[in-house]
Amino acid sequence: MNAAGYSQMVTANIIDLFSYQFFQNALIGGVIAAVACASVGLFLVLKKEAMIGDGLSHTAFGGIALGLFLGINPLLTALGVSLLAVFTISYMRRKKIAPTDSAIAVMLAMGFSTGLIVISIAGGFNVDLFSYLFGSILTIDSMDLALISMLGSAVLLFVGIFRRELLSMVFDEEDSRIMGVPTRRLSIIFDLLVAITIVLSIKVIGTILVVALLVLPGLCALKLNLSFRSTIITAIGFSVLSTLLGTIFSAVFKLAPAGVIVFVLVFFFFVTLIYKKLG
Amino acid sequence: MPTESLVLEVKNVEISRDGQKVIEDANFSINRGDYVGVVGPNGGGKTTLLSAILNFLPITKGSIRLFGTEIAKFKAWEKIAYISQQATSFENQFPLTVKELVSLGCIKKGNVGRRFRKEDWSAVDNSIRFMGLEDVANKRIGQLSGGQKQRVFVAKALARNPELILLDEPIVGVDSNAQERFYKKLSDLNIERKTTILIVTHDLTSVFCRMSKVLCVSKKVEEAKITDDLDANKLLKRAYGEHFHFVFHKHECSGVFTNGHC
Repeated sequence: MNAAGYSQMVTANIIDLFSYQFFQNALIGGVIAAVACASVGLFLVLKKEAMIGDGLSHTAFGGIALGLFLGINPLLTALGVSLLAVFTISYMRRKKIAPTDSAIAVMLAMGFSTGLIVISIAGGFNVDLFSYLFGSILTIDSMDLALISMLGSAVLLFVGIFRRELLSMVFDEEDSRIMGVPTRRLSIIFDLLVAITIVLSIKVIGTILVVALLVLPGLCALKLNLSFRSTIITAIGFSVLSTLLGTIFSAVFKLAPAGVIVFVLVFFFFVTLIYKKLG
Repeated sequence: MPTESLVLEVKNVEISRDGQKVIEDANFSINRGDYVGVVGPNGGGKTTLLSAILNFLPITKGSIRLFGTEIAKFKAWEKIAYISQQATSFENQFPLTVKELVSLGCIKKGNVGRRFRKEDWSAVDNSIRFMGLEDVANKRIGQLSGGQKQRVFVAKALARNPELILLDEPIVGVDSNAQERFYKKLSDLNIERKTTILIVTHDLTSVFCRMSKVLCVSKKVEEAKITDDLDANKLLKRAYGEHFHFVFHKHECSGVFTNGHC
């Protein structure tokens, strides 16, 4: 087959894909997760707390194993365990039991080890646990989509309403407190939203790689030296574009979607890096 | 002085940190329209005193009253703006334009989570204009010079029209021209808007040339009105030690760009 023929076949494949319900679910779910991750992730990057995303995503793994073991929707148990982890990290930080990074490390280890113990008790699961570890965007069903849409709307609504207060806190927390911003409450709610964002993204990209969707879009946008408004819009743009391109490429070339999505994001990161270096 | 013009009243205040007395028996008051310089040696307790005034740090003895209300019961924090030592230590790639940063100053208890109104945006524009930042309003803050950054933070503070502005060493690492412009703007603010200003600084010449009052902090706090016959050297020796020497005569301020106080 010559190049023109091959390109025609690929185009036909892509057009075909869009007619399938499973692919439409994948794209809608992917876009919602991408928008939520980019908006929450930008604040995490600016707060220099990207590791909380990594910690919570690994903690969520324990919740997934627990859900599979108990026969409950694993996303719901992952949500419960992640929220519990957020409160525990916040408590440890507030009571000075451990600094934030150590508190995250403790919860990460506890969540992951819980998952391993539950798996060994269950003697393995019928359901492919790898689909939660590395995502399975093409298996998003209407129930998953409803949950992703609900959680995604909550995240976006909160960030949309409190974006200025969040930005003010990231920039100068002491001054924000004097101005009347309820910094402690907003911080806890924000951490809860990080947990929610991770859970809603598990099906799309998996617990291992979700941190990439949280961190890379914001990092790419920051390299362009824009205003805050343009930065958040650009971060969302990078995130959505990577998810769409990654999902389509992976379906056409039969590759792991999460890997391709992250690969596209890393590609954008290097492009913005070169753009910044050139001036 | 009638109590309604009292902005800050500090009585018999003692502050300890890690079991060590940092401030002892502080007594002073600040009235509406005062322009106060807080000076003293490093480690003397200037920032600690400011932290206590802002209720970041508990006092071990005495009382602090803001606008006539005991600090523990004080709720009207929108009357106060604070510019910290670290305010300008953000990373240059932080994605905020001057206008976006100044607009953050409009956030107050009553409008958390609400859309800004027309009045808020006009307060932002007025603050930018007052601080002479119109030309850089759409520039990112990381692109500004040190002096410009400081003026942006004052503009942010002004956006909610505070009655008291507290500044903690705001002009560290800024060249003398930029310092002049910065102090000139603060003087304008103090004179035109009657805003009370309390500024922690090591720039003694600016304090004695421009300000109406000085607080010398070195564990103890000594308050003095800045007048022609004030013996600044004697006052400062008590805070900085006998080796310290600062010759100052009010008439020497004519070389400094002042506005009203001298």
